[in-house]
Amino acid sequence: MASREIVRYKSPARTAFSVLVILFLIIFFVWTVLPLAIMLTSSFKDLLDAFKLPAEGDWGGVGVMFDFKPTGAHYVELFTEKHFGEYMRNSLIASLGSAVVSVFLGSMAAYALSRAEFRGKKDLLFWIISTRMAPVVAVMVPLYVIFRSSGLVGTLPGLILAYTTFNLPFAIWILKGFFDNVPYAIEEAALCDGANRWQALRMIMPLVAPGVGAFIVLCVLFGWNDFLFASIIGSGGAKTLPVATAELVQPVKIQWGSIMAAGVVTTVPMMFLGLLIRRYLVTGLTMGAVRE
Amino acid sequence: MTSVTIKDVWKYYGKTMAVKELNIEVRDNEFLCLLGPSGCGKSSTLRMLAGLEFISSGEVFFGDLKVNDIPPRDRDIAMVFENYALYPHKTVFENMANPLKLQRMNKTDIKERVVWAAQMLEIEELLQRKPVELSGGQKQRTAIGRAIVREPKVFLFDEPIAHLDAKLRSHMRGELKHLQRRLETTTVYVTHDQLEGMTMADRIAVMHEGVLQQLGTPGEIYNHPVNEFVAGFVGEPPMNFLDCRIEGAGDSASLVYDNMNLALGGEQSRILETKGAAREVRLGIRPDDLTIEMGTDHGLELSAKIFVTEPLGGDMLIEADFGQDRMTIKRKIAELGQPGDACGIAVNSEKLHVFDRDTGEAFF
Repeated sequence: MASREIVRYKSPARTAFSVLVILFLIIFFVWTVLPLAIMLTSSFKDLLDAFKLPAEGDWGGVGVMFDFKPTGAHYVELFTEKHFGEYMRNSLIASLGSAVVSVFLGSMAAYALSRAEFRGKKDLLFWIISTRMAPVVAVMVPLYVIFRSSGLVGTLPGLILAYTTFNLPFAIWILKGFFDNVPYAIEEAALCDGANRWQALRMIMPLVAPGVGAFIVLCVLFGWNDFLFASIIGSGGAKTLPVATAELVQPVKIQWGSIMAAGVVTTVPMMFLGLLIRRYLVTGLTMGAVRE
Repeated sequence: MTSVTIKDVWKYYGKTMAVKELNIEVRDNEFLCLLGPSGCGKSSTLRMLAGLEFISSGEVFFGDLKVNDIPPRDRDIAMVFENYALYPHKTVFENMANPLKLQRMNKTDIKERVVWAAQMLEIEELLQRKPVELSGGQKQRTAIGRAIVREPKVFLFDEPIAHLDAKLRSHMRGELKHLQRRLETTTVYVTHDQLEGMTMADRIAVMHEGVLQQLGTPGEIYNHPVNEFVAGFVGEPPMNFLDCRIEGAGDSASLVYDNMNLALGGEQSRILETKGAAREVRLGIRPDDLTIEMGTDHGLELSAKIFVTEPLGGDMLIEADFGQDRMTIKRKIAELGQPGDACGIAVNSEKLHVFDRDTGEAFF
């Protein structure tokens, strides 16, 4: 392989450009991190401290924003009085459950679509992805009617099924890309070694593992962050974190402290998940795209 | 440890015909080579034996057992693939142990078998490595190891050494042949390299455009090719072909080309007559059956000019022009002629081959 090094020579234009790039990155960093920082700090403030803001234009007074006595009261309240433990569990079960079901069914479908040749294969693939083309709200009402008549409204299985409806087509498409990249000869070798189809599939599963891992994360994120399904189909028995957080906005009182704490509770697990599998996420998402 | 019978087998991919009415019997413990250029149907044939492709029509038997509808895992075959097809996430040991694991053999026996195979292939010290850490030759040995651990009924090799470098390839030819003799297992070996076929096989089946051209020992194929294709495909450097005219009849026919007049032997003449050869035929001569002498004063049948000389070390390849044709001559000579030098070429008339110009069929 040839060297990937890109040779650069200094020039005034290039220097100016790199200054601009750095400036942009700083602004971008502040833009993305500031809300999170405010959320985090506010979650540890009591209500009075939270609204202590410097006057407009008073840059020297920024310090008052950090002048507070940390309190964990909001977190305690969330998990004791407001049952956030239960909602977190619901969120986890719904998102993980859907991810597992989607990957399990998706990998089998993707394997079949990747390996078998049959008439109408392209149409079938298009049909699968076309189910993702309509906005979620468009199918919400019919889906609700179906779910209600099947007794799935307000249950975790209902929520898992709803998420799977949307994750599965995506899973099939992404995983098909991964399977396409695994040489068929490896399975043929397994078949000659004495494996049946299932064993041959199991043999190549480790090869698509980075893809599967990355995909599980995407599925989990979809379920974890979802509000629409959770509020309509999950309402009642299967309340998840986003819905519970929204309910903290009450007509009489907006509980800013609790909302901020709920925001932190919702964000942190996903951040850790992202950090944990960052490496796989990158290989996984690029693996399907580049043929070697 | 079984014979393999291919009976009237056809293979179609859609409307494209890949194999046409193939009949081959591979004898017990025989090393049979399917030889042909790419696209000749040899790999399709092998894959049908393995059960990786459906047989469009016809029958395949292992011994007395018809295997058409038996999946690969129940055929008791072991296949070595062109690109080795090792399991990239498994170590050499696990790769080789896989067929045994699938047979639910117990761990101690598996270890014993794998180590036995690894010793035979001299890859013991590599057992804990992953395929990415292996060289081409080592990967290939691993792939062969995976095939031999199980003592299958039939070995199927699909160009296993095509991607190795030339030196290793010639080394592996000997090793594979030795291994096959030692294990005494019926083997079908696919290659496009006539040298592999000639050196390793008990018998060679030459295929072209899905049709079996000739089935015979390397000696038969080389010395008595049935048609122009086989004659041209087998042998390195390839056979020289010249369009000639037959003159005379009965016992004393001769081949005429330009100012060359090549008298045929009595038997050769009779064969041409009884087989009703047309006047216009094609003459085939192997580069080894030509002699060359430098200078104009040679008294040989053909006068030619040297086009290029290619020293091979011991031998010399000389390409010489005459008329509109060019011939390759392989000789041991010390003297290097220069391009353009005049020379004379003599033909060993006992080693001639004559082909029908239209059908390519050999008269002798």
